[in-house]
Amino acid sequence: MDEAMLLSILLQTAYASTPLLLSSTGEILSERAGIVNIGLEGIMLLSGFVGVVVGQETLNPLLGILAGIGAGALVGLIHGMITAYMKGDHVISGLGINLFALGFVPYGIYAVWGVRGYFNPSDQAKVPKVFGVSPIFIASLVLVPLIYYILFKTRFGLSLRACGEDPHSADASGVRVERMQLLASVIGASFSGLAGVFMSLDWLTTITKDLPAGRGFIALAIVNFANWNPLLGLLGSYVFGFSWVAIEWLKISALKQVIPVTLLNTIPYLVTLAVTAGALGRSRPPKYAGVPYKKE
Amino acid sequence: MPPEKEVAIEMVNISKVYPDGVLALDKVSLTIYKGEIHGILGENGAGKTTLMRILYGNIKPTGGKIKVFGKEVSFGSSKDAIKIGIGMVHQHPSLVPVFTALENIYLGLPSNFKEQVSLKELIERTGIKVPLEERIEDVSLGIAQKVEILKVLYRGAEILILDEPTTNMTVEEVKEFFSTLRNLKKMGKTIIFISHKLKEVLDITDNITVLRRGKVSGSLPTSQATPEELAKLMVGREVFLKLEKQGSRPGEKILRVEDLWVKRNDGSWAVKGVSFEVRYGEIFGIAGVEGNGQSELIEAITGLRRAERGKVFFKGENVTNAHPLKLYTMGLAHIPEDRQKTGLILDMSVAENSILGIHRKRDFLRPMMIFNENKIKEHVERLIQQYEIVVSKINAPARSLSGGNQQKVVVGREFSKTPDLIIASQPTRGLDVGATEYIRSLLLKMRNNGKAVLLMSSDIDEVMGLSDRVAVIYEGEFMGISETSSVSEKEIGMMMGGYKMGEIGIK
Ligand SMILES: Nc1ncnc2c1ncn2[C@@H]1O[C@H](COP(=O)(O)OP(=O)(O)O)[C@@H](O)[C@H]1O
Ligand SMILES: [Mg+2]
Repeated sequence: MDEAMLLSILLQTAYASTPLLLSSTGEILSERAGIVNIGLEGIMLLSGFVGVVVGQETLNPLLGILAGIGAGALVGLIHGMITAYMKGDHVISGLGINLFALGFVPYGIYAVWGVRGYFNPSDQAKVPKVFGVSPIFIASLVLVPLIYYILFKTRFGLSLRACGEDPHSADASGVRVERMQLLASVIGASFSGLAGVFMSLDWLTTITKDLPAGRGFIALAIVNFANWNPLLGLLGSYVFGFSWVAIEWLKISALKQVIPVTLLNTIPYLVTLAVTAGALGRSRPPKYAGVPYKKE
Repeated sequence: MPPEKEVAIEMVNISKVYPDGVLALDKVSLTIYKGEIHGILGENGAGKTTLMRILYGNIKPTGGKIKVFGKEVSFGSSKDAIKIGIGMVHQHPSLVPVFTALENIYLGLPSNFKEQVSLKELIERTGIKVPLEERIEDVSLGIAQKVEILKVLYRGAEILILDEPTTNMTVEEVKEFFSTLRNLKKMGKTIIFISHKLKEVLDITDNITVLRRGKVSGSLPTSQATPEELAKLMVGREVFLKLEKQGSRPGEKILRVEDLWVKRNDGSWAVKGVSFEVRYGEIFGIAGVEGNGQSELIEAITGLRRAERGKVFFKGENVTNAHPLKLYTMGLAHIPEDRQKTGLILDMSVAENSILGIHRKRDFLRPMMIFNENKIKEHVERLIQQYEIVVSKINAPARSLSGGNQQKVVVGREFSKTPDLIIASQPTRGLDVGATEYIRSLLLKMRNNGKAVLLMSSDIDEVMGLSDRVAVIYEGEFMGISETSSVSEKEIGMMMGGYKMGEIGIK
């Protein structure tokens, strides 16, 4: 294995891991405040689409990125209103996001570009590399420790976590629980939004209804595996990312004559599942994650 | 003339009607002086919490005036109350269990918060020492209460409202807690102490206001108060604090426990070789500080926990580790210690809860094992009437009942099994005077009718007042078994602290 190949593997691992990392980090923040959003998959898809539309129309990738984040934030706002203020069911609202995205995006692709299936943005719309790598990848490595710091080392983070652990006590202590949860939902979802545009305008540079390919659900599993800790989330995301890349390499090699490709495809999921199941025993979710907070 | 005491709080003609039409307070007036400990006494539902939440700005009164240090106030929210130095420690703990004491104290401070004294200094001055770095879930309730008080004081409270702070505290914890309160009083803090426990109010307060059904039924200095009078003011009629007890005529043995050994969940020994027997026509009491194995002992006898060694005989039959259903069919009923966890299924209706465990009875069934709703309705309505259970409708979830009424559902259900032996664990914990008196009288009636009662309670007065014979458990062993009439409360207290009966000169 020469140097170039090694570098290529590393970069591929990084890119495969980045959407998982962004999405799971956002969800960790959200769930720490008590808001569970299983609609990560849908947010990635919607944001990926919106990012391409805006990037392609303006030929400005930065605007595309911002639009993608904005779309995520908007979904987070709606989800937060439904769950934090209207005390709706977290799972049903999240399911709604996924279903909506799956229905809307294929239609949107056709409505905007008149094509069916997929659309590839032109080169001016794609995110340019910085020092040879994706700037969003770099940003993810900065954002994760930052979120960790905010959650565990600041007074704001303390208030946020109190909302997910014991909203009644948080309320009695002077924390505005609903507002905090809404905010966390918005921030959390914008992370998945960023993950979506990362895929559609940066890494894969295409938009199809299969863009997230289950990554939103893997991100959810990683949240669990990471015990709601962003630094462990980093580990989980890269375990999955690496095994995924490794499988891609195996597919090219002679091995695929021996093992069917479809079976190989399942391996990253199995690895993550194994790691997740191994960790689940000691994981301790925020007590009120997904439980609507009702004042007595 | 003595100098006029400074008035801290004056509440005049406060009324409160809740949105659902409940008149919780009816023209309540009360005066609290600076630097005193003022007791607010009343049964559950009397309106104590409502009154205090109004003073704390948590809810708005329907009518009336509030003056704090002479100035009329009107609070938009409790933030306004905190600003002028009123702090409240709620009835239900408001600390985040997984956070440390320190984190809890800092939680939710307003962004423009300026500390008047540093936390360190505050701890030194008040003498309230708590392990700041420990998580709340790892400390005792007594310490958690202290953390709450620190939290409130740190926010600058001069007036402290404590809503039933001693619920769930052990005797020792209460003692220590009271010395903290006396300390705060010395520092000039004004304390409002809410309770339905006569003894505590008599012990710690300077003045007492008694509430009954939303009205002030009496207001007097503690030095002039007697338990009997306070009880009367609370309940509105004479209460027999000393239960009338005829001599017992114990008969045959009904329950015999032989060298029983039981483990805790963590595998350590909770009960280490306990033996005793209960006879028809007597109340056998087990006293002890909570956590000394009495819960595990009862659980083992009632089939809820495995007995590792030893034997249990009920009516002569070996029932060691028998299924609770078998015990019930043999005539044993159990009022469990924790009504919410073991006694009731909170999300099921009062009607459903009233037949839990007896739901297999033919009476409640139609052919094909279908419930006979009418019979169940009759049954629950009989209980509601007989035990004076306050419930909006029989299909309301048990969760919506007050603690006292939940307990009455459990007690009523267990008595409706017409048992020969009833095992009652902490049957009156957290209940008001009226409900307590009623449940105690039921136990006595059982005994007087020739049935047997095994009573486990950490309330010495209760055990001493009811039992014919009493055993004291300490670290899983009996320190002694004695006729109640031949031991003093002090001696029981010493045994609860780990002295064997032989060591303190009783035989
Ligand atoms: N939020 C509420 N809504 C309606 N009724 C209430 C509410 N809180 C208390 N009550 C009623 O007001 C009365 C007084 O209750 P409370 O102040 O809690 O009494 P206490 O603290 O003395 O036990 C009770 O009848 C209770 O059922
Ligand atoms: Mg109350």
